Amino acid sequence: MARVEIKNLNKVFPGGIQAVKNANLVVEDKEFVVLVGPSGCGKSTTLRMIAGLEEVSSGDIHIGDTLVNDVPPKNRDIAMVFQNYALYPHMTVYKNMAFGLILRKYPKKEIDRRVREAAEILGITALLDRRPKALSGGQRQRVAVGRAIVRQPKVFLFDEPLSNLDAKLRVQMRTEISKLHHRLQSTMIYVTHDQVEAMTMGDRIVVMLDGVIQQVAPPLQLYHHPVNKFVAGFIGSPPMNMVEGRLAGENGTVHFIDKNDAVCLTVPPERHAALKGHLGKKVTLGIRPEHLRESGTPQGAEGASIKALIEVVEPMGFEINLYLNLGGQSITARINTSVEPTVNTQHVLDVDMHCAHFFDMETENTIV
Amino acid sequence: MMTRMEKRNLAMGLLFASPWVLGFLVFTLYPLIMSIYYSFTSFNVVQPAVWVGLDNYRELFFKDPVFWTALYNTLYFTLFSVPLCLASGLGIAMLLNQKLPGQSVFRTLFFLPSIVPIVASAVLWLWVLNPESGLVNSLLMQWFGIQGPGWIASPEWSKPSLILMSVWGIGGAMVIFLAGLADVPPTLYEVAELDGAGAWAKFRHVTLPMLTPTILFNLVMGLISSFQYFTQVYVMTGGKGTPVDTTMFYALYLYRNSFYYLRMGYASAMAWMLFMVILAATVGVLVSSRKWVFYHGE
Amino acid sequence: MANSRKTVKTALKLGILGLLSIAFVLPFVWMLSTSFKHESRIFPPPGQPPQWIPTTDVRDDQGRTLVKFDGKSAVDLGAEETGRHHLLLDGKQVEAWDHEIEPLQQVGLHWENYSKAFEMMDFWQNLRNTLFICFCTVLGTLVSSSVVAYSFARIPWRGRDAVFVLVLATMMLPYQVTLIPLFALYSKLGWVGSFKPLIVPYWLGVPFYIFLLRQFFKTVPEDLSAAARIDGCSEFGIYARIILPLAKPALATTALFMFLFQWGDFLNPLIYLQDDRQYTLAIALQQFQSQHVSAWGPLMAMSTVITLPIIVLFFFTQRTFIQGITMSGLKG
Repeated sequence: MARVEIKNLNKVFPGGIQAVKNANLVVEDKEFVVLVGPSGCGKSTTLRMIAGLEEVSSGDIHIGDTLVNDVPPKNRDIAMVFQNYALYPHMTVYKNMAFGLILRKYPKKEIDRRVREAAEILGITALLDRRPKALSGGQRQRVAVGRAIVRQPKVFLFDEPLSNLDAKLRVQMRTEISKLHHRLQSTMIYVTHDQVEAMTMGDRIVVMLDGVIQQVAPPLQLYHHPVNKFVAGFIGSPPMNMVEGRLAGENGTVHFIDKNDAVCLTVPPERHAALKGHLGKKVTLGIRPEHLRESGTPQGAEGASIKALIEVVEPMGFEINLYLNLGGQSITARINTSVEPTVNTQHVLDVDMHCAHFFDMETENTIV
Repeated sequence: MMTRMEKRNLAMGLLFASPWVLGFLVFTLYPLIMSIYYSFTSFNVVQPAVWVGLDNYRELFFKDPVFWTALYNTLYFTLFSVPLCLASGLGIAMLLNQKLPGQSVFRTLFFLPSIVPIVASAVLWLWVLNPESGLVNSLLMQWFGIQGPGWIASPEWSKPSLILMSVWGIGGAMVIFLAGLADVPPTLYEVAELDGAGAWAKFRHVTLPMLTPTILFNLVMGLISSFQYFTQVYVMTGGKGTPVDTTMFYALYLYRNSFYYLRMGYASAMAWMLFMVILAATVGVLVSSRKWVFYHGE
Repeated sequence: MANSRKTVKTALKLGILGLLSIAFVLPFVWMLSTSFKHESRIFPPPGQPPQWIPTTDVRDDQGRTLVKFDGKSAVDLGAEETGRHHLLLDGKQVEAWDHEIEPLQQVGLHWENYSKAFEMMDFWQNLRNTLFICFCTVLGTLVSSSVVAYSFARIPWRGRDAVFVLVLATMMLPYQVTLIPLFALYSKLGWVGSFKPLIVPYWLGVPFYIFLLRQFFKTVPEDLSAAARIDGCSEFGIYARIILPLAKPALATTALFMFLFQWGDFLNPLIYLQDDRQYTLAIALQQFQSQHVSAWGPLMAMSTVITLPIIVLFFFTQRTFIQGITMSGLKG
């Protein structure tokens, strides 16, 4: 088992595209870290550099105590699970899992023991003699994971392993991989574009955009304290509402006024101090859908309600998602109500300004 | 400045490609250069080559009527054989490209002749076209009471015989056409039908344009192999190009110069002329293809 | 109404295809038929229709041929040098001229064309030579072309694509251009008169098959190589243990095409083989033909022997065949 450390990591592809910019990250021993971000953000490239499949342009990668920049993949003591499974079509499941050990000249008995043990864990013992073609997507994914397990590597690398599965299987495999992490107690680095996967699986999450690490934090901290507008919008579903406007302060009160002057929201006093420097400046207000509530409920803050046109109503069962039009800006609300609102009516919602986020419109960094 | 991995890839790539690199240097590049040199020499393999300047080319152009005959024969053959083979290959492919009973059997029957060793098929055709007891003339007599011509043995019929024979070997082109036809999206035909297109209009406005890349491929391949036509005529005329040089094809004349007369310098000059002709024809076709070839997705 | 029109159309197309395919197959049938005919039946008298089905003379239990004379069948007791035959007709001895009698015929095969051809051609030696050359060139092409194709398909080295264009360009080069310098080179090496010029070049990558295999190798997902690399494969290991096993169909096509080409190749053996102990079947057939211009029986027997294995091979490998041609034609 090992910790992985990335120092000032850069990757420039031929042609000048910089996929990873000065990334720094420490993955602790036995930690499950998820790299998440939209496609092209550099997360897969980072992972492939850790695996040794891509060369580092500059910077260092340590696995355990070893600097592995120039160590070929096979000597890094890592195992990787690929998005398209990358199972060898011409080998049986057994051979697929054993292949890495055979190449490393493990004794037959040991190979057999490890393969059967891994197959047991993953419930694929019955499939050992089949070829990948005869397996379902979920089964193939298990074999791919099994192939990694038998190697007993220092570090597991997952490159979007679940994106080729259907939604239901994805949820199931998600919990299984989490369970596997608890069982194996090994370091795992997991790449996904799906923030739900990131939130549910990671001990810590690394959010990337355009090759730059935006924030590294445990899931809930990421959710409640995003460092910038991108992270705030990326984490959470439905995504956080962003309303552009400005802050106005007079007589000890602070108000958020949207750019069309259609909305004026009172900011609670406990947040004044943090916003002091931005009075009169343009800011973006971030408000999560669940912090918009039916008007008149107790949590509704004083002087902070909006009236918007309901465009779509999505009953989710326990909750209802409302898609509204607020003076040309789309916003989403997740409300808990027994009465289903009607489409094309104006609806009044209270905004929980205690939970609101404010972002600098220029830097997009979080103000508070 | 190459990175470590780029260097490794270059080394590995060249290592894996090294058989070809070696083969290219020894068996292509070196002969290519020597061939240019030889074409300016008098050379018979046994003695060292003697520089003669442009003599070989001068002789080709101004003193050797057989050269022009050979060129004429080859162009004549190409001009008739290639379009005929293309048209019949396409025609049969179109007939086969329908849900007919026994389709795969027919495909096999049309394809088989093209894989028969050329020597065997040449001997076979020599017999089939035998003036006295050959199959063709016997049938002509039996069915129509016609006394058939001397075919290969007759100066008028020798080239047409070879052209007819070449149609027997269209199997390869036919299979490629079939693949091309299978690639035409069926929806195009459906749309054309909705637009009121009949069978001819569908062929003219859907099939033919969609097949142009395949036609181009078969055309270029046909041209190249037709200019190098050799084995059939060597076997059928005992390497002599008889009667009266009517089947003296370019490649055959080149071979005779090389290995009968041991005029290898002269033959090298011929080879370069052939190369130029093929190059000109191929480039000509490729340039013109911009006007008539339609690529999917354009 | 529409239905019956469709039926007529289908019938018409089938009719055309049927006639055409008969025309394509007829030469084969003629070849086979001739190869089993007795010499006397190969050249029918002028004006006679071609005989399709081989026949043999009819003999009685004492081995005497039966002939038709005067509309009746008779036993041929033998002929004088003058052409006068003694016949046994209804128990009586009669005499008749050659042209007055006609041997009775029954369907039957004459195998002697085959045995004659085998003797005259040193068939087994020729077959051994052909198979040896086929084996060496097929193996060489498979090994060398696949290694080179791997480089062009799966190793991203600098300048690769430019070099690959060069590979394709060499395919366009007419063989006549390199023919003479190669002959001179092989003479200098002392290779003329041996199998070496026919085999060695095929161990150095054949452009067409490099192209074919490269196209196929490129279809294998890149992640498979990455997985193998992490599993501990070297570059050669990926080639040998992952790519090659997956490329079996393309390798089969390569082997098949190469075998076919070598089996029938004429020009190279013609130039480089000098001793008739070294001849391949194709050369031997041509030599035999040029020496026995009108021995059509043995000639057709030999042609049949050379053609038949190819046709049998084709029937067993049709799919590989058609796929291979399609692959080379459409992705070009």
